[in-house]
Parts: sequence; structure tokens; C-alpha cells
Amino acid sequence: MERTERILDLVALLLDAREPISWAELREHFPADYGGSDDAAERKFERDKAELVELGFPLTYVQGDDERRDGYIVDRDAYYLPEADLTKEELAVLYAAGSAALASGAFPGRDDLAHALRKIGFFAGESLPTPRVRMELGAVQEGEEKEVSARLEQLWDACAARKWVEITYASPKHPTTTHRKVDPYGLALRRGVWTLVGHCHLRGGLRTFHVHRIRELKVNTARPRTPDFQVPADFSLDSHVAYFPWQHRFHEPVEVVLRLSGALASRAASLLPGATLEPVEEGGVRARMKVTFLDGLVRFCLQLGPDCRVEGPESAQARVKEMATRILERHAEAHEKVSA
Amino acid sequence: MSNVHERLRRLLFLVPYVSKHPGVTVEALAKALNMSREDLLEELDLLTCVGRPPFNPDDYIDIYVDNDRVYVDLDQRLFAPPRLTAGEAAALAASAELLRPAAGDALQSALQKLERILPPSTRERYREMYRKIDASTEAPQALAPLTRAIIERLEVTFAYARPGGPPEPRRVRPYELLSHRGQWYLQGFDHMRQDARLFRLDRMEDITVTDTPFLPPPDARADVPNPARSRTEVSVRVRFTPVAAPYVKERFGRDARPLADGGVEVLVAGDSERWLTQWVLSFGGEAQVVEPESARAAVARAARASVGL
Repeated sequence: MERTERILDLVALLLDAREPISWAELREHFPADYGGSDDAAERKFERDKAELVELGFPLTYVQGDDERRDGYIVDRDAYYLPEADLTKEELAVLYAAGSAALASGAFPGRDDLAHALRKIGFFAGESLPTPRVRMELGAVQEGEEKEVSARLEQLWDACAARKWVEITYASPKHPTTTHRKVDPYGLALRRGVWTLVGHCHLRGGLRTFHVHRIRELKVNTARPRTPDFQVPADFSLDSHVAYFPWQHRFHEPVEVVLRLSGALASRAASLLPGATLEPVEEGGVRARMKVTFLDGLVRFCLQLGPDCRVEGPESAQARVKEMATRILERHAEAHEKVSA
Repeated sequence: MSNVHERLRRLLFLVPYVSKHPGVTVEALAKALNMSREDLLEELDLLTCVGRPPFNPDDYIDIYVDNDRVYVDLDQRLFAPPRLTAGEAAALAASAELLRPAAGDALQSALQKLERILPPSTRERYREMYRKIDASTEAPQALAPLTRAIIERLEVTFAYARPGGPPEPRRVRPYELLSHRGQWYLQGFDHMRQDARLFRLDRMEDITVTDTPFLPPPDARADVPNPARSRTEVSVRVRFTPVAAPYVKERFGRDARPLADGGVEVLVAGDSERWLTQWVLSFGGEAQVVEPESARAAVARAARASVGL
């Protein structure tokens, strides 16, 4: 009998059973499948049982007593999906977010997500809203979406099962690719870019990898149901993934002071989230912030224009001058170049 | 995940779904399960062989197609789908993060209710897996009224900030919300311009959902903003050093032409001097405008201004 069919038969049998079903009975019911040697049959059933548990089938083995015999039994109430009593608004939010993620082409756990949306919609009838919210991935070229999507799916499974992965990684900072073994701790989305955070065996520490820069990916297939590693209890994805360029952890934190004036002053909080702001003369705003990638901040300041000034430290001011001078050199008129 | 797992998940949903929607068309059922008609018919064949021992005629699932509609007479107790697995709930909760700030209380309460219907044995695993995806994309508050306006097909009004001028009042039929490179956009029909336009959410103020209804066109899909693909009268040639080249290639793909020195060159739209100078400056000296001369001069002016010259 085909495995899918056998497992469904088991579901039907167990859902209908009023008494625990013993292993001997199961062997009787499925002689062609659980016949043969004791060992082989038991191993086959163990695999089927693991699959049932993975599907959320609440199967338990009960030890018999005076009133009940030994055997497998399923808690029916814990099996069937109950109504979640979601309000129209709650359902709309979950649906909007879920469909946006599915429409985005790449979201880890796409299969899981599609099933989840189906299930929460089960009791909703035909009235489900289909909002048009879409998320496009940055840094993913046409034709590459499928690859990124497939990698995210593999990584999601590896994160969930805590299995290590082997990756070939192309960092823009290095001319050649590197091979690494990584314990995947989790996946984070920032500005349309998916990042894998995990323990890198090559570097012996926590590292982040942009999923679109992973050229090859293999998940450890040995002992699929036994985790390869533990995620440290105090691990948090958010503290390892940068929202803004100056948050990349390239050097020790430095406090930088900026002064925003004109139209930028009122936008200070949204431009520099997390900075400590204080009003200064002429309607300006002074912002203090911790920076772990100074060049990232300096480039952002140059982009903002003359209404954003770096007040300190001197090293940051010097960097602004260096970059601006370099830009000027590259854009000076021919006669200016001569005089310079 | 294995094929068997995926199939089982589908089939354990399929039977209850037909039980709840007797006479659902093959087409609609295939769509609900996101599978082809042929695959669905094969799965229905398999289901007719499923039953419980001792496999008497009444012990089988009785599911059949009649006149292109699907019915189930004996569901063998598969009248409701299984509860959400930890993975399913975690993926759903993580996707909900996309809209977190905008969705407010509804999201919070939805997630609480979701957790309540998980089997108790699954809850801890769900929480653990939920922590493994972080998709918070700083969703702006404006998503909430705009999502509502799109669903309810109502026009919106807002003040739209323009560089170097006062905000302009706009009246728009909202079609679609789009997030690209961390920036959220609204695509819609702009009454002032009498055309479809893309608006940045961070430039909108005083958003009001009106009670004027509209019918959205069926094909209102916005293009992702791409300065290398928009057609303008003037194009600007920008060259990047080998240091910046890998990043530029990631963004522009084939539109980034490789140069002999390991750098790349991109031709971008020249209709906004402000955008162009900001963009070139953001590379901190690793980008150079080659032509036209007016664009080179604009970048030089901006660089001088930034150091107070």
C-alpha cells in the first residue's frame, strides 16, 4: 500500500476508535505493511507515527489498567480545528499580511503559510477579503525569485528542525566565494532583503548572510528528527540584523552627534530612529546616536544634504570631508582639476 | 518537507472542505488547494481507496465527482481540518509582522486567539519557531487607512509633500500597496494628473478615507520603481568603482554594464536632479556621473554644499 494511503487509513482508524488500539491489532489490520520481521515492521510504524505527529495528530500510547487495555489512542478534541472566533477585522489583518507575504514571491515557510491561511479561512465561508498589498524583494533580479524562494524554504525547514546547513556564500566584499557550515538560528527581513542569522563554524561566531548571496545550499539530512544544535536562550534576531547602514557591526560603537535644520528638523525622529533628540536654536534638532559603521552614516548624511551636519566626533567630520572631496574631484570641471 | 507530508496536509484539508462545501466545482476546489485540475482528480482517486479496517464498503471515504462538482457522502470523521501545526502558526504570525504597526490591536488579538486554538503540546514549539522569523518592516501607520480604502474601494485624500514646495492636496483611487527596498508606495489613480501614479507613503499627511466609491481596473499592478528602466528625455550615465560594483550589480542586474577596470556603468533617468544628486552622494565617492555635464555640475554643487563651501 502506498505510504500516503496507509497513513490516511491510520488516521481514519484512530479517529473512529473508541478503545486503544494495540500494536498487535495494527499489524493484523495492515498485514501487508506491518507484516514481515518485527524490527522492520516496528521501524516502519515509527516513521508513520512521526509523520502523524508532524501533521499535528495528537497520538498517544496508553498503558492499560483494569478498565482499559494497552494501545494507541488519539485525542479527537485536540485534533479538530475549532473556530477561532476571529472578528472580521482580525481575519482581514491576518489575511492581508499572509497574502502580502505569499504575493512577495519569497517568504520562508510559504507552504506552512498557505496551509495556515486555508485553515483560518475554513470557517469564514466565501467572504474572505483579498487585499492588494504586495511586498517586493530588493536586490533580487528578475528570474532569481524562484531560487531565493526555494532557499528560504530550505532554510525555514532547517531552522525549524535545527539542522546545520552548508552554504557557498558570495560576499560583495570578497572576490571569491566561501564555503561555510552554519547553524541557522533564524531569518530576518529588512528593507526587502532576507538575512540568515546563525553560528558560522568557519568564523567561530554569530554571522549574518543575505539569502540572495547564497549560491549553494545543503541541509544536513542525517538524522532529520534529531536537532544538531541549540539556539542560545538569550538570542534575539533583532539585535543582530541592521535596519540602517550605520547599524552594521563593523567596529566598536562610536557616539556621533548630528545637527538637522530646515525641513529635516521635523523629520529627525523618522530619519534617525533610536537617536536621542534635543531641540536647538533656530528650530534645529541635535541628534546623538551610537554607530557601529561610521561610513554608512556619513554616506547617509551626505545624501541628506547641507541641512544635515556632523558636529562630532572629529573623526566623523574628517570622514565627511574626505568623501565630499573625493566626490568633488570626480565631478570637477577640467580647468578646476588643473588648478587643483 | 517531504512530498508525502505535503500531500497528507492537503488531503486532510480537502475532505473536510468538500464536506463543508458540498457540490464545490472541481475548478474552485483546485484553486482553494492551489493545485492543478489533473493533480486534484488524481488525489480524489486516491481518496476513494482510503478507509479504515476492516475495509467493508462503508468503511471507505466516499468522495466523487458528479457533473464537474465534488461531493463527499462518507467522510470517515474527516469533517474538520486538523489544528494548525506549530510551523503553520509561526509562519502566519511572522507574516503578520509585516503589518504590525499599522494593524494595531486587531493583530494582537488575532494572534492571541490563534495561539489559543493550537494544541497545548504545540504552543511552546510555536513560540520558539515564531522567534525564528523576523519580518518587521517598519510598516507605517498609513498602511491601516489605505488598506481599508483599498478593500472597501473608497477614494482617499491626502497632502503630498514635494521637495522645495508646500504639500499639495491629492485625491486618489487607491489600487495597491507596494513595499520595495524598505519603502512603501501606494499605486492609484490621481485625479489631478488624470493618470495612475505611485506615491510614497512617507510623504503623505492627513490621509482621509472618503465615502466616494470607485471600481478598480482589473490590471492595476504597479511597476517597481527602477531608475534604470524609466524612460525620460535625458539619461544620465553613472560609473561605479570596483568597490561599489557588486552592490550596484545586485540592484540593477543586467542594466549594470561591466567596465574594463572591474567597475560598472548604469544609465538612469535624468528627470529628477534632486534624486540623482542624493543617490550619487550616497555612494560617498564611489560613484561618478559621466554625462551630461549639467548633472556632473549638480553633484559637484551638492558635494560643496555638504561641507559648507
